[in-house]
Amino acid sequence: MTLDEDSTRRRLAGFVARASSARDAVIVTLERMSGGAVQENWALDVELDGKLRHWVLRTDATATVRESLTRAQEFAVLKVAHAAKVLSPEPLFLCDDPAVTGQLFFIMERLPGVAAGHRITRDAKLVPDGARLARELAANLARLHRITPAHAGLEFLPTMRARDCIAHYRGYLDTLSHPYPALEWGLRWCELNAPQREDTTFIHRDYRTGNYLVDEGRLAGVLDWEFSAFGNPLEDIGWMCARCWRFARPDLTVGGIAGVEDFVPEYEQMSGRRITPGDLQYWQVMAHLRWAIIALQQLERHLSGTQRSLELALTGHLVGQIELEILNLTGAP
Amino acid sequence: MNDRPDARDLLEIARHAFTAEILPAVPEPLRYTALMVANAMAIAQRELAAGDSPLREEYRRLAGLLSQNPAAPDGSALRDGVESYNRRLANEIRAGRFDGEKRAAVLEHLRRTTEEKLAISNPKALVPG
Repeated sequence: MTLDEDSTRRRLAGFVARASSARDAVIVTLERMSGGAVQENWALDVELDGKLRHWVLRTDATATVRESLTRAQEFAVLKVAHAAKVLSPEPLFLCDDPAVTGQLFFIMERLPGVAAGHRITRDAKLVPDGARLARELAANLARLHRITPAHAGLEFLPTMRARDCIAHYRGYLDTLSHPYPALEWGLRWCELNAPQREDTTFIHRDYRTGNYLVDEGRLAGVLDWEFSAFGNPLEDIGWMCARCWRFARPDLTVGGIAGVEDFVPEYEQMSGRRITPGDLQYWQVMAHLRWAIIALQQLERHLSGTQRSLELALTGHLVGQIELEILNLTGAP
Repeated sequence: MNDRPDARDLLEIARHAFTAEILPAVPEPLRYTALMVANAMAIAQRELAAGDSPLREEYRRLAGLLSQNPAAPDGSALRDGVESYNRRLANEIRAGRFDGEKRAAVLEHLRRTTEEKLAISNPKALVPG
C-alpha cells in the first residue's frame, strides 16, 4: 500500500473533510504503525479546521487471513462495542470508496498507551499493579459479553460455540496433507467434555495481552476486533489465560500480568456468570487448539509458496509446544 | 560420494561463524531476523544429528497401538509408514476408538512423540516451568 503518495494524501484529506463536515482538513502525519500482519494500521494526524486530531487509519494488509471480518464489518462491531461502554477506540469514519486509497479503510480515534506483550509483562513501570489491570480487563470483558446475538446490526457475525469450534478445527485439519494425532486427541477431549448448555454472547476472540493498550498502568482500550463472533463467553476467558499470551511471565496465568484469582472473581461479579476450574481448563484446551490451528495456517502459507517466509516457517516448529500444553491439560489419568 | 565435510559439519561450522562473528555486528532492526536464522540452523542441526532413530521409535510405538507388525522399513518407506500410521491414529482418535482402555497407551505415545519433536524443535520447552 502506498498511502503516503502525494495524490493519495490529497484524496484522503478530501475524504476526511467531507466525512467530518469540516471546511478544511490537512494531513500532518501519516505513518505506518508497527504490528498487524493481517491489517495495516497507520498513525494519522489531521488538522481539522485548525484543530489537531490523532487518529488511526486501519486497512487490509496484502496477506489477508480468510477468516476475519471485512473492514466495514469491523467498523460496525467497534461501533456497537464502543456504544456499550467497552473500552475501545471510537470508530469515526468508514470509507467504502476504493478510489480514495485503493482499498477500504476506516478511521478511529488513536488511544494512548503501549500494547506490546513483551513490554507489558516485563516492565513494572508500565504495569505497576497487574492485579488492578486484570480486574479492569475482567470488568471490560463482562461489559463486552452483555452484547447479545439479538443486537441489531451484527447479523453478519458467525456463531462459534464449543461444538462449532471443534467441527471448524477438524474441518481445517482435514484440508492438510499431514496428520496431527495430538491435536485430534485434544479435539476429541473437547468433544467428550463439551458443555451441556452454553450461553451465547458477543465474543471478541482475540482478547489477550498484546491486543490492549495500557496507559499509565490502566486499561485504555481493546484493539483488533476482526475475529469477533457470537459464541460462548468463556472462550474469551480461556484465550486470555492461554500460555501463548503470557510472554515474559509464563507463571502469571492471566496474560502474564496476574493470577486467576485477580481476574475470575471480578468477571463473575460483573457478569453474574460462574466459572468453575473445569470451565477454565476446558476453554484453555480449546484456546491451545485454536492457537495450533492458526500456527498451521501460517505454516501452510509458507509451505504452499503463497508467502515464503522464515518467520512463518518457524511457526510450524511451535506446534510441538502447543501439543505438549494440550497433553498436559487433558492427560490426567 | 560428495567431498567432505558433510551437511552436518558444514551447518555446524556455518552456524558457529554466524553466531560468533555476524550476530554481534547485526544492527538492531535486523536482529530478530538474525536470531531466527540462527534458530532455524540449530533446528536443522538437531534434526540431522538425531537421524532416523526418533522416527523408528515412533513407527514401533504406532505399530503397537494399531496392532501392526513392529518391524520398521528403511529409507523413505519409513517416513511414509509413519505418516500413514499417524493418519490412521488420527482417524481412530477422532472416531473415539481410544476413549476407553487404550486411553493411557495413546496418551503415553503422544507424549513421547511430542517430547521427541520438541527435542529437535525447541529443547527449552522440555524443561518444566
